[in-house]
Amino acid sequence: MSDERREERTRTQVADVNRSLYDFTKSEEGYERYDDGLTPDIVRAISAKKDEPAWMLEMRLAALDEYHRRPMAPNWGPSIAGLDLDHISTYVSPRTKQAKSWDDVPEDIKDTFERLGIPEAERESLAGVGAQYDSEIVYHNMREDVAKQGVIYTTIEDALHDPAWEPVVHEYFGTLIPPTDHKFAALHYAVWSGGSFVYVPAGVTLDYPLQSYFRLNAAGAGQFEHTLIIVEPGADLHFIEGCSAPKYYEANLHAGAVELFVKDGARLRYSTIENWSKNMYNLNTKRSRVGADAKMEWVSGSFGSHVSYLYPTTILAGDRGSCEFTGITFAGATQDLDTGCKVIMNGADTTATVDTKSISKDGGVNTFRSSVVVGRRADRARCSVSCQSLMLDDISRSDTIPAMDVRNATAQVGHEATIGRISDDTILYLMSRGCSEAEARTLVVNGFANPVSKELPLEYAVEMNNLIKLEMEGAIG
Amino acid sequence: MAEKNLTAAAGAGALALERVNAAPAQTWNRLRTNDVTLTVPARGRAGDVYFSLPRLFEGVECGMGPEVTAWVESQAADARYVEVPRGERRAEPIVVSVASGAGEVADTGVMVREGAEVTIVVAASAGEKDAEAEGDATAADPAAAPATSASLLRVIAEAGARVTIHEYLCPGADAQHLESVGIRAGRDARVEVRQYALGGGTVALGLAADLAGDRARFDLTQRYHAAGTEVLDVNEVVRMRGRNTRSELAYSGVLEDAAKKSLRTTIDLVHGARSAQGNEAETVLVLGDDVTNKTLPVILCDEDDVAGNHGATIGSVSPEQLAFLASRGLSRADAEELFSRAVFEDALMSAPCPEARAVVRGDSPLESSEEA
Amino acid sequence: MADQLLNVSALSAGTEDKPILHGVDLAVGAGECHVLMGPNGAGKSTLGHVIMGDPAYAVTGGSITFDGADVTELTSDKRSLAGIFLSYQAPVEVPGVPLYSFLRTICQMRPELKTTARKFRQRVGEIADQLELDQSFLMRELNVGFSGGEKKKIEMLQLLLLQPKLAILDETDSGLDVDALGIVSRGIQAYREQVGGALIVITHNTRILERLSVDRTHVMVHGHMVAEGDASLIADIDANGFERFERALGERDEACVDCPGCPKAGDAE
Repeated sequence: MSDERREERTRTQVADVNRSLYDFTKSEEGYERYDDGLTPDIVRAISAKKDEPAWMLEMRLAALDEYHRRPMAPNWGPSIAGLDLDHISTYVSPRTKQAKSWDDVPEDIKDTFERLGIPEAERESLAGVGAQYDSEIVYHNMREDVAKQGVIYTTIEDALHDPAWEPVVHEYFGTLIPPTDHKFAALHYAVWSGGSFVYVPAGVTLDYPLQSYFRLNAAGAGQFEHTLIIVEPGADLHFIEGCSAPKYYEANLHAGAVELFVKDGARLRYSTIENWSKNMYNLNTKRSRVGADAKMEWVSGSFGSHVSYLYPTTILAGDRGSCEFTGITFAGATQDLDTGCKVIMNGADTTATVDTKSISKDGGVNTFRSSVVVGRRADRARCSVSCQSLMLDDISRSDTIPAMDVRNATAQVGHEATIGRISDDTILYLMSRGCSEAEARTLVVNGFANPVSKELPLEYAVEMNNLIKLEMEGAIG
Repeated sequence: MAEKNLTAAAGAGALALERVNAAPAQTWNRLRTNDVTLTVPARGRAGDVYFSLPRLFEGVECGMGPEVTAWVESQAADARYVEVPRGERRAEPIVVSVASGAGEVADTGVMVREGAEVTIVVAASAGEKDAEAEGDATAADPAAAPATSASLLRVIAEAGARVTIHEYLCPGADAQHLESVGIRAGRDARVEVRQYALGGGTVALGLAADLAGDRARFDLTQRYHAAGTEVLDVNEVVRMRGRNTRSELAYSGVLEDAAKKSLRTTIDLVHGARSAQGNEAETVLVLGDDVTNKTLPVILCDEDDVAGNHGATIGSVSPEQLAFLASRGLSRADAEELFSRAVFEDALMSAPCPEARAVVRGDSPLESSEEA
Repeated sequence: MADQLLNVSALSAGTEDKPILHGVDLAVGAGECHVLMGPNGAGKSTLGHVIMGDPAYAVTGGSITFDGADVTELTSDKRSLAGIFLSYQAPVEVPGVPLYSFLRTICQMRPELKTTARKFRQRVGEIADQLELDQSFLMRELNVGFSGGEKKKIEMLQLLLLQPKLAILDETDSGLDVDALGIVSRGIQAYREQVGGALIVITHNTRILERLSVDRTHVMVHGHMVAEGDASLIADIDANGFERFERALGERDEACVDCPGCPKAGDAE
């Protein structure tokens, strides 16, 4: 095939096939949409609508100050010059009440989640589901048997209205990621809306995962959901988060915050399949504090967004705590994805394993950025980081920027990184066994991504492989 | 101009050089690992006329960054230009010798013509106490710069040239040494660098190698040892531009007591560097409870037909090594001492000339009779 | 058995999660040459490492005496200084330490070997020549990037330098080509002739034994010492393998709880 034809076909496929599954819009008519930009009035309006406790409004206003005070440009990371907060609406809400049954969800929104397969997944393999549409949660439900165990899975808003849970939210909210953490954390706390509050009592193990799905339908809008999860001692939870949005030409912004408290002896697995549209600025902050003998597991697939800054952070605060981070990032045309993770080891005998993969193609830019900090008290801490990057063509880019800071003589830290392409020999070998070149490449890329997909529940692994396949079909003529 | 950096923090006749040894790709500023700030003496040389290098050396990127280049050029009494003619195998090494005690600063440019061969040695030692006249004068002023030696070395290796660079760095205990190197390698040129950072108050070392020509090859071995409150700050960048270029960077070091080390390495696989390969590996032995070891091993990749690899191992002597060494009669303490001493012994064994050997002698735990 | 150089008595040992040796006895007199044979996984290497004091294994019963002293509780470095040497099957890589520095250090530790740098270099040079080792190896990092054969030669170099009273050679012949095998066996002979030290050769390749006069042969199966004999046992195993020993052990296994200190006995309680 000539290069010209190949290029033509590539374009068609990216536009027509690639995004169709996620790329559909629904009318915003009749929605409540606040003015673009960021003022104390808007912050007050959001707070008033939610009928929040006074401390929350104070926190929002202080965060707004912090946001305006902080300078924008760091000396690193992809450009966010295309993001103009004066033209982003921070609050867009469908005029609907949160439903406990899909039948009560408005037809167009229900259709959206049906297409994304959420109700089906709920029936088959989940213990509970929350679905957020733009700024508000439109559906929330949890299996009865799980509720009976004392598990709480609700929105932060609802938890704030419950006298039993308001003090708990107050105690934890904004303590792991303070509003002063960085500029977009400040923004988040000023205008946060929606998200999840999960509380798993001591010793309770959930056999099925909980899932929250975030859909940003409105153009030129931001989504600022807050997820607060508390896993009490000895409890065990798998939480899945999915996100997508249709493509617009106006910039959208996602600046969520995820605060995870994993108490002594508890385990939390947090899985994310992120497929924001390619006009999205994804400036998300996720952080976990892990107690003694506790375990944090991150599984992260990043496929979407125009620009991402995403570095889930694990603080191993207690002795013998551990964390595993397994991630894949796929950067295609127009994408500049700065992803990775941070691990802070403070407890003795803590262990951390980081295994990441990245794939760059069609001019996409991948940056793997990580930090491992081993504190003075972290005797015998062990950490290994492995980072592999695959370049699928010569117009893309892949950078690896791992930082390590070790301050304990008994710690062992290992790091390895490789960057390269699929070898011609591999492709030739597979072709000699009857694969087309495209199939061969897809096969290799899927194999490359396998360590991540095997960590996901089956349905999500299938979704991830489909995403890879779609991305690859776009690439190969 | 260097003068613009004159800050209030620096005392009279001292200068704070900021963003020195800055890594080309930066990480989170809160990690405080992106660069280093150094306070250096600033002797006024206004009105002096001195020899400077040919202009073409201005285009050679140096590892410590433009601030240090400007400062060295403003402080060096004379620049030294050496040309190795085409095809010549220069037998005697080019030796740059500076002593921190005497505050010596050298600015050297070496042009290695097509197919020529040369060895360059930089020996930075503490020097004689007697020569520390300036050091005495500044001792009373805490804001003043410590006794400082510096060497700026720029090397242009033309096609097929072979260059070997040995750096032996060990300034005095309260002194510092700035070592900034810039190398440009043409087609089929081969550059081999061996660096020994053997302690002393502060050693700041930056190197940038531009593998501009096809098939240029760069090999770097660095061994370091830092103990007490010694500081080692390293920034090394290899720009791989030519096709089929190769770079191999190997670092190993021992950190004891409350030593502080930062190592930034960057392999930059530039667009168009088809079939380039860059490898980097570091092994750090942390033997002190108050050590701070920072490592930022970066690979930048703008080309698909390349291979970039990096590996780091940070920690104490492994249980397997300990068991093996114990089976030969070494206790843990013996083994750790062996690792420590090995850095100096290796330096001594590899020293190409008396000036380099003298640096190791100056400050090493070796028995002096050992290699007599 | 005070006249024995090494006396391993009812020794049981294993890793944290797995018992490996069950009540093993082994006695080696000064200057004797013993061969230890057995199928894969029999525990031969483990026995070698336990005699050396490798901290990867814990002794759960029995004792090891060497040169008249109980060394069961001694750390590996003390046993080495006392005169035990173990040649590793896979010598560990020690980056950052030049071979020369290492050799000099391990010799200077021992009062009887302490010497001047000049004499030491001369001695190392002679042995290196004998083993056909290029002297440039001395500058390289210990075992780093060496081929299997080179690593084994460097183990032999240490054996000849340290002149131990007892050398345990753990599969020193494995992975060697014919030339290297010849050089290594000449090295072993040199140790026997020049040092007169005792030897325990762990192997399943009888080729390396051809040049040695073997005093005793021991057979291990599943962590048990199952047979002992003179050199003729080697030819027997060469011809018939280990099957009959394995069968015999199977019958004995029932009685395992009886062997003192056996970890299995602990399980049964």
